[in-house]
Amino acid sequence: MSAFETLIYEKKDHIAYVTINRPKAMNAYNIQMRDDLYQILSAIKDDPDVYVVVFKGAGEKAFCAGADLSEFLTAPSPVAARKIRWQRDVWGLFLSIPQPIIAALHGYVLGSGIEIALCCDIRIASKNAKFGLPEVALGMIPAAGGTQTLPRTVGKSKALEMLLTDEWIDGDEAFRIGLVNHVVSDDKLYDYATTMAKKIASHNPVALKIAKQAVVRGMDVRLTEGLYLEKGLATHLSTINKQQPKT
Amino acid sequence: MRYESLSCHREERVMIIKLHNNGTCYADPAQVANELNEICGTIYPDPEIQVVIISLDQAEPPTDMDLGQTVLSLDPGSDNPLSWAVPVSKLEIPVIMSINGYALGQALELALACDIRFASFASTFGLPHIHNDMIPWDGGIQRLSRLIGKSNAMEMILTGQTINGEEALRMGMINQLIDDKELLPKIMKMAQKMAQKGPVALKYTKEVVQKGLELTLDQGLSLEADLYFLLHTSSDRTEGIKAFQEKRKARFKGQ
Repeated sequence: MSAFETLIYEKKDHIAYVTINRPKAMNAYNIQMRDDLYQILSAIKDDPDVYVVVFKGAGEKAFCAGADLSEFLTAPSPVAARKIRWQRDVWGLFLSIPQPIIAALHGYVLGSGIEIALCCDIRIASKNAKFGLPEVALGMIPAAGGTQTLPRTVGKSKALEMLLTDEWIDGDEAFRIGLVNHVVSDDKLYDYATTMAKKIASHNPVALKIAKQAVVRGMDVRLTEGLYLEKGLATHLSTINKQQPKT
Repeated sequence: MRYESLSCHREERVMIIKLHNNGTCYADPAQVANELNEICGTIYPDPEIQVVIISLDQAEPPTDMDLGQTVLSLDPGSDNPLSWAVPVSKLEIPVIMSINGYALGQALELALACDIRFASFASTFGLPHIHNDMIPWDGGIQRLSRLIGKSNAMEMILTGQTINGEEALRMGMINQLIDDKELLPKIMKMAQKMAQKGPVALKYTKEVVQKGLELTLDQGLSLEADLYFLLHTSSDRTEGIKAFQEKRKARFKGQ
């Protein structure tokens, strides 16, 4: 059912699987992938049959080794590039997906790769995974949300260490600093992610979306507003549940 | 200016500031504040300095600590002239803190105002102000609770008890524990490596992380994109990408 050049999209038992599929280029993120990703994420967002999403990388070497630098320095001007960035806001779309998203991470998880992982809700890494943000070495900064999502995940201090030094960390260290939820041996990665996806998919899909929304939006506001939001969402959910009794 | 409470020297593009002590106590806080203000004022406009290291080497627990009773007369609207953290927190470039020994009171508050913290295994950390009927006043309460979470911060501030290196690492107060003999050399190595990166990119990264945490996620993402596209106009970005494509080392100019 996949018709995309850079991604494989599959759906089974309410779980959507998105596989980054440029293994010869270490799954580097390019313009084509941006367009494919935009289409797939838009479809997932509106698909009531998808309860949970799993992101993974094809091939043995990488989840995604970063942006494809061969396409850099081709933008007509900073003004035009900025306009294009917001015309198709793929990262805003990614962060607005209502269903829970799990990332299964192996090999190189660098630059755009770690930023994709940070747009997901739960991260599982294999021991061989290597995480890093090499942007400053190239005289630039991350642009897929990494400067915002990383500190919100591991705290300012660890985030700045990774962003400013360009030193890479492995799966165990990523687990220690809270970048990933679980670290597993390389051969167990997909089983582990799939098992967790199935566990999540066994719950009420509306409750899942609302729980995610309460956490994501709640983190962005003050506690009093977060508590108000939580109460409102819980009320909304119980109303829906009364209308649609469990089958 | 001749410095007495601290000494500083440059190694290539890295500035090291060493805080002096008198064995059992930190140097006169007012003098440290004055001199830190002075040195940060010279670092800020200097395009040759890419990274700052602040080193605290305090082998004995301070017995005579001025926990800042004098601040009581402060005007809450103005910058605190006794602050160590304020001048350091205003630097745009990365600041790494090296802690060997006791980082208590204002010394810890200074460390919390830095971007990255490394400590030797035998280090001790604490905000003992409550023992003197005081509260931390150099940003310690705000920065500590944001760094290690409300619960851990409350415990340290309300009990005034100290914690050791292992606990500080576990809570995320420090980034790494390093053997004391290796501490400064390792930090210098990291700083030198950092100083090879794009200077504007380093400053923008620090800015967007710090400001971004005060914004909603959406606002933070906008700021990131704006600074990213502003960097498109820098010669450093072009150089960085070309160097990568040509598999050579980048030569950044900081513009």
